[in-house]
Amino acid sequence: MGSVSSRAEPLAPVELSPGARQLSRGITATWWYTVTAVMFLQIMLVFAWTGILAAQGQSGPLILVVAVGGLVWCASTALLLFDYRHRVDAAPGFRWGRIAVPLLVAVAYGAAAGALAGSWQLAAMPIVQSVVLLNWPRGIRIRVVVAGTLLLLVLALVDSSAHSFGAVLAWWVAVIYTALFPVMTVSSLWWWDVLVTLDRARASEAKLAATQERLRVATDVHDLQGHHLQVIALQLELAERLLPSDPDAGMEQLRAARVSVDDARQGTRDLATRFRSVPLGDELANARDLLTAAGLEVDAAIDADADSAPASALGPVIRETTTNVLRHGGGARARLVLTRVANTWRYEIANDVVPGAADEHDGSGLDGVRRRVEEVDGTLEVRRDADEFVVVVTVPARSEQTR
Amino acid sequence: MIRVLLADDEAMIRSALAALLRLEPDIEVIAECADGEQAVAEALRLQPDVCLLDLEMPGLDGVQVAEKLNRSIATRCVVVTRHARPGVLRRALASGVSGFLPKSRGADEVAAVIRRVAAGARYVDPEIAADALSDERSPLTDRELDVLRAGRRGETTGQIARALSLAPGTVRNHISVILGKLSVGTRQQAVLIAEERGWI
Repeated sequence: MGSVSSRAEPLAPVELSPGARQLSRGITATWWYTVTAVMFLQIMLVFAWTGILAAQGQSGPLILVVAVGGLVWCASTALLLFDYRHRVDAAPGFRWGRIAVPLLVAVAYGAAAGALAGSWQLAAMPIVQSVVLLNWPRGIRIRVVVAGTLLLLVLALVDSSAHSFGAVLAWWVAVIYTALFPVMTVSSLWWWDVLVTLDRARASEAKLAATQERLRVATDVHDLQGHHLQVIALQLELAERLLPSDPDAGMEQLRAARVSVDDARQGTRDLATRFRSVPLGDELANARDLLTAAGLEVDAAIDADADSAPASALGPVIRETTTNVLRHGGGARARLVLTRVANTWRYEIANDVVPGAADEHDGSGLDGVRRRVEEVDGTLEVRRDADEFVVVVTVPARSEQTR
Repeated sequence: MIRVLLADDEAMIRSALAALLRLEPDIEVIAECADGEQAVAEALRLQPDVCLLDLEMPGLDGVQVAEKLNRSIATRCVVVTRHARPGVLRRALASGVSGFLPKSRGADEVAAVIRRVAAGARYVDPEIAADALSDERSPLTDRELDVLRAGRRGETTGQIARALSLAPGTVRNHISVILGKLSVGTRQQAVLIAEERGWI
């Protein structure tokens, strides 16, 4: 047995830790950062084009169309970005109902702004950008980006040969900025994809740790069972030999074998539940659910801070008393209360007693509870009123030691 | 005499338990069944006082048998299990099971539980109750569980949305929250986890 228990080392918890929760908040923040960056690029671009047209001395209404239309188009891409975030089940593809409106806005804006300003590149820019934001399958997106960039570059050359504003330096800046625009957008989104992949990897690492723990438990169970089976085989063999000559001694061995079986079972169970512990609040919530499922009307008042109550003392108490109510309570109502009163935690569980029913509450379970409670300087009060059976436990509040 | 029906798909355990129970003076084993459907049919025909049902049986499991029987006849059901999966005690209590105990209990203890249940009381084994109390709580909200339940057989987002009278976008949002909370990549994996832990 020594070999079995010596291998049990403390393990890092695999459940969702506060750190993991913080990480998931960090991922949300990164998402907003990505959206802001893409939106900012778009608004800057609209602003740049508006500035160039104004510098060229274009008419006021035209500039207004390019600026306001640009903002409307930026808003429409927010819908596409939102869709990008909520790609579920990792299946690429288009939901036309949702992307139709943003795409139409992009086409309308491109057509209007391009025609008014006389620039093919300005016409293509919003359309290329909106198309790049779609949920393309892996590998296809890069081709879309390359094609879009080439298209924007070619259109820039067409524009420069057709117009005189090729001489303005600012115009060239805007043209290059526009041509690189799809690449910049996609690199932001790519960064976001990498982050999501990293997060998934972290989750699978946690799962791997859990699996390794399971393997370790499996080895322990194997050792334990091997040991007990050997003992039982010996006891049975002995019984077989003894029964003809000395029936009493043989029976004694048979009983011993049954005890060994029980030991083996208990040992296995202990191994399986070795790391199984839930926060006290969850345990009470489970208790409430079970009692409700058993058809009792449950009145529960559980302190919001229940998880900080001493679980090592109260956990077994909750288990024992809830089981008692489940086993014996032929009644219709139960009350579960955990409150903090000054420096103590007060736990109360009550159930109604069917009048005339035999008193089935055996003391043995509650004796164990009393011993545990007194070990931590707490008190236990058991009260049987006319129509109610009440158990009240108070334990001093103090920082919870490791269970 | 307490008339008992026994249902267990493992023949060795069934016959050994039947033999041991027959040794009790006040218990009469009137039927031995090998699966859930047979147990329901026999129970409806014989109207036993107590049905002792194995939880893990092919076809209908012990709790489903108890649920069917409780709707039609006045019998009391005790469910026996080798390993109580999370959520199963809650399900059993909700379907009106009167007793729940692990298979490891000796025949004398089983007999005592049969007597107690036949007298109208309820019995839940402390070990099983303790396990049920330390079940991991679901991090998902009721609505999210509804979404998983409606999509557990691979239904599309649209079908889930229609079943729950929600907008497809809302269903997608729920699903992406679920995937985040459970740290899995697909809805199928989320459904598997939720089923394994007895949340749905």
